[in-house]
Amino acid sequence: MRKRLLASLLTTCMVGTMLAGCGSGSAGSTSADTTAAQTEAKTEAKTEAAATTGGETEAAGDSIVTEPTELVFIFADGDEGAKASMNEIVKRFNEAHPDITVKIQPGNGGAYSEFLKTKESVGEFPDVMEMRDTPIYVRAKMLSPLPDDIVSMFKSTVEFDGETYTAPLAGENTQGMIYNKTYFDENGFTEPKTYDEFLELCQKIKDKGDMAPIVIGGQDIWHLGFLYYKVYNDQVMSTDPDFIKHCYEGTKDFTDPAIVATFEELQKIFQYAQDGWVSTPDAQITTFLVSDMAAMMYSGTHMFSQIESADPSFETGWFAIPSPDGKTRLVGGGGAGGLAISAESAKDPNKKAAAEEFIRFYYTPENYKVYCDLLNAIPSTVETPDLDASPVMMKVIEATNTADDLSVMWNGRIGKNELPPDFRNFMYKTTIEVIQGQRDIPSACDELNKTWQVSMQSFNPVTNPQ
Amino acid sequence: MVRKKKPGIDFVSLGFIAPAFLFFTLFIIVPTIASVYYSFTSWDGLNPVIHFVGLANYKEIFTSARFGNALTNTMILTVFISILENALALILALLVDHVKWGKNFFRSAFYVPVLISGIVSGFIWKIMYNYNFGSINSILTSIGLGEYRQDWLGNPKLALIMVGVVLIWKGAGYYMIIYLASLQSVPTDVVEAAAIDGASPWQRFKAITLPLISGAFTINFTLSLINGLKVFDQISVMTDGGPGFTTETIVYLLYKVGFNEGRQGFGTAVGIVLLFIILILNAIQQSVLKRREVQL
Repeated sequence: MRKRLLASLLTTCMVGTMLAGCGSGSAGSTSADTTAAQTEAKTEAKTEAAATTGGETEAAGDSIVTEPTELVFIFADGDEGAKASMNEIVKRFNEAHPDITVKIQPGNGGAYSEFLKTKESVGEFPDVMEMRDTPIYVRAKMLSPLPDDIVSMFKSTVEFDGETYTAPLAGENTQGMIYNKTYFDENGFTEPKTYDEFLELCQKIKDKGDMAPIVIGGQDIWHLGFLYYKVYNDQVMSTDPDFIKHCYEGTKDFTDPAIVATFEELQKIFQYAQDGWVSTPDAQITTFLVSDMAAMMYSGTHMFSQIESADPSFETGWFAIPSPDGKTRLVGGGGAGGLAISAESAKDPNKKAAAEEFIRFYYTPENYKVYCDLLNAIPSTVETPDLDASPVMMKVIEATNTADDLSVMWNGRIGKNELPPDFRNFMYKTTIEVIQGQRDIPSACDELNKTWQVSMQSFNPVTNPQ
Repeated sequence: MVRKKKPGIDFVSLGFIAPAFLFFTLFIIVPTIASVYYSFTSWDGLNPVIHFVGLANYKEIFTSARFGNALTNTMILTVFISILENALALILALLVDHVKWGKNFFRSAFYVPVLISGIVSGFIWKIMYNYNFGSINSILTSIGLGEYRQDWLGNPKLALIMVGVVLIWKGAGYYMIIYLASLQSVPTDVVEAAAIDGASPWQRFKAITLPLISGAFTINFTLSLINGLKVFDQISVMTDGGPGFTTETIVYLLYKVGFNEGRQGFGTAVGIVLLFIILILNAIQQSVLKRREVQL
């Protein structure tokens, strides 16, 4: 009897605990909902205020909607700069358009892609959103194409079968050689004007022996991808921009002389990397630069703020590595990500008009400047806002404006040049094997071909466009 | 008087069994059966349309150089850690068993690494192994052995061994506890009788202690074999399978192809092959070690 009583008590406790667990979960979601509701309430309050202050705008201009329209807008709000700028621009839009209300819903910045997929799966796909996995959603026909007047606002956009679905939030992260200007000045080193001069400069620093010529964070293979793409761009893209497409078609493969040349050039450059580059994470490369352990790093503009935080007195220089043919090829322009409009939302003429107007408004120079300044982003628009950027940042922007060629990273391309999933990583790991001497170039090319053939069985946008 | 059990459903027992049964069925049995099905498909993990490809995934496994490399790495790592982890655990257990004072302190101290998660231990050792800022190279430099500094995780000849060292460091304490429990169950009268008969400490260990703790050997070797075949956390944190593919194991390959490359079908086929590898190796090991077990 006593045992049975004990058993009943334990069962009751267990069920109670499970229910408490459920309760806690729902409390959590209630809390999240409350936060969302609060955000919406705040936005609404701002809208009401805007209606009061910006009433003249509504009275003065013709409305683009026939009835009050509400748009739900979601973006990756993990970054404080992104959060502040998006809120400011939405506030301005709501003030200027009293008959349209853009409501921000909190997005999960840390796992934004999963967050958006969850929203879609529960039937809460937003009207306007920051889109990152554009090809997947375009294939699923969930995005609405943007009109020509919006597309023409940008230096470059990414097309899917002749249609553009995203307004790039910023230009691609332009990479270049970030260097220690003080060290260069003290030793009489100057920015190289040709590719050979660049290699000579590396050799001079190496011969001097007081620091490594280049710091490379090879443990994070995406970082290694910066230099890889520089060389791939010079050797492969310069001769055949559709190399990947031709590989899908079977007219080219990875034993191509351009791929061999890519490996050879990378071997040349990597001899100037610091000792231990394979196990150095990207997070440590700033330390190398500001601690006089390396003279240069090849990375994107996002490093400027990190360098300044690590050592405010550090004098940063920047140059684009010239290509062997004398041209300047840079990563830049708009990528496949950006602001997008839901196809479902676009079925409602008012929502479609309101969403398009919001995107136009967002990219007007005075509004877009808020985003670019707060995120140290390179503007993707033709009409560049008047930025409060540092001199070195302005130099990068100038370089993207005068470069002979701007392109997105090879793994950011879409359509018939879209890479199979993770082939990028396979290439980078194979590159490490080649540079470390674990594998010779012909063997690397053969292995790439084998992997490519396997990848093509499940992903081939040329023969099986989805 | 023996009370007969009343016929009918015992709801209390069922109430206790149900949560574990449901959990095990939903999270172990169903996914395992589903994995067998998916291993015959080219499913990408997202698309609702699933294509049946027959034995294509298995054919690829047995012809793929990458799988061969992962299998080799897994076997090297498993053998390396199974032997050294057990050797170290036995030495630690013997030390703790014979130490006159601070027995509890040493037992706890050797067990602490077991309590640290695989991810955290991976990060700690990754920092220690760092070529430029790591403590190992710093110590070598400070004691005048700077020429022996290594890129511990960047050198393809060393990376797998260095991962193995971390696994041994982390796992030895757990096996030590099992050996220690087994050592403490060895009857002292038998050992004392052997000592009176003039047996040396080594002879007593070899002829009495070792056969009597062979059950612990069977358990520990089985566990370290399975753990070696399943190693994931440390590789994910410390090397990401690199440099190149030097430390890519079967489980890591499974994860990479399944979740990063969008080839769940192939990934699950790798998982099924791994399951059979574990079963076969475990059966061999059990049959060899069981024969050596002695009971008083």
